[in-house]
Amino acid sequence: MAQQSSETEAELIQPDDYPQMVSKRDGLRCMQTLQSDRVALKAKTAMTSYAPMLRDAIMDYVEALEEAGTDLGRIFGIAHEIRNFAENAGMATAGRVAENLCRYMDEMDRVKKPVDPAIVTLHVAAIARAARAEEDDAKMGDVVSGELNALVKRRLTDAGVR
Amino acid sequence: MSGGFEYLKALIVEDNSHMRSLLRALLNSIGITDITEANHGKAGIEALRLRRPDLVLTDLAMKQMDGLEFTRYVRNDQNSPNPFVPIIMITGHTEKHHVEAARDAGVTELLAKPITTANLFARIAEIVERPRAFVRCGTYFGPDRRRHRTEGYSGPWRRAEDMEDMEVS
Repeated sequence: MAQQSSETEAELIQPDDYPQMVSKRDGLRCMQTLQSDRVALKAKTAMTSYAPMLRDAIMDYVEALEEAGTDLGRIFGIAHEIRNFAENAGMATAGRVAENLCRYMDEMDRVKKPVDPAIVTLHVAAIARAARAEEDDAKMGDVVSGELNALVKRRLTDAGVR
Repeated sequence: MSGGFEYLKALIVEDNSHMRSLLRALLNSIGITDITEANHGKAGIEALRLRRPDLVLTDLAMKQMDGLEFTRYVRNDQNSPNPFVPIIMITGHTEKHHVEAARDAGVTELLAKPITTANLFARIAEIVERPRAFVRCGTYFGPDRRRHRTEGYSGPWRRAEDMEDMEVS
């Protein structure tokens, strides 16, 4: 039943008072499904089966990234796509470096400060190198992404980003 | 015994075809097979009217109409077929200001990219097990945004479980 909240003067509509995605009875079965080992394995298999396709897509994005030149909007967009599913493609390092680049560009945009092209170039090169490495070297990836992360943190601090 | 999800209709609003395929496969794995795909918010609205989905998964950043505008339409437009439909926003934009924008648009749950099976299932479980009250006030209609948050941490949130403590979800 709808209630008025005295604190906010807002009307509260409780879950029993609007249509739910599943009924309470079906909800129990849904929870069993979500917690089932069989379903988890099925989902993991589905995820794994997509990795080769995602790897190909990431490689296409890397090429586009390298060809983007000084088009920062394009670089941000492509880096975001890489960041979004490189890990699902088994390319975690490329994903982490892309995430770092996105964070830097996003925060600089938010505080209306110019992006340093050298920082962008460093990240693009690191993403390309990580993506083209035959295997995702976690140890080297930690070092590279850690150093770039520290660099970005310093630059963001200099730019007044808290 | 059926798994409980087989009669549900889902809508995926996402501009990246690879991500759409991946999400479809993951929804299939729990038994949701009636899935409509849209590659931006405007197409999502059309699909919403035609298909009346029970669950919506949407990206945040899309051309033509982004996930925020799409969510605001679903929650607030007088022509919206179901303002209460659960919306999981799946986004790589996990910085605090993006998360707050998603919360204020009226998303039900947030899921950070890169997605994992466990995190997607956890968000769906949250909708099934702990449906949220809706709030209607002068400036907002959507799931109740009040939830415990961790003080002193301003993100970014890389994973969905990191975002659980936000007021958002």
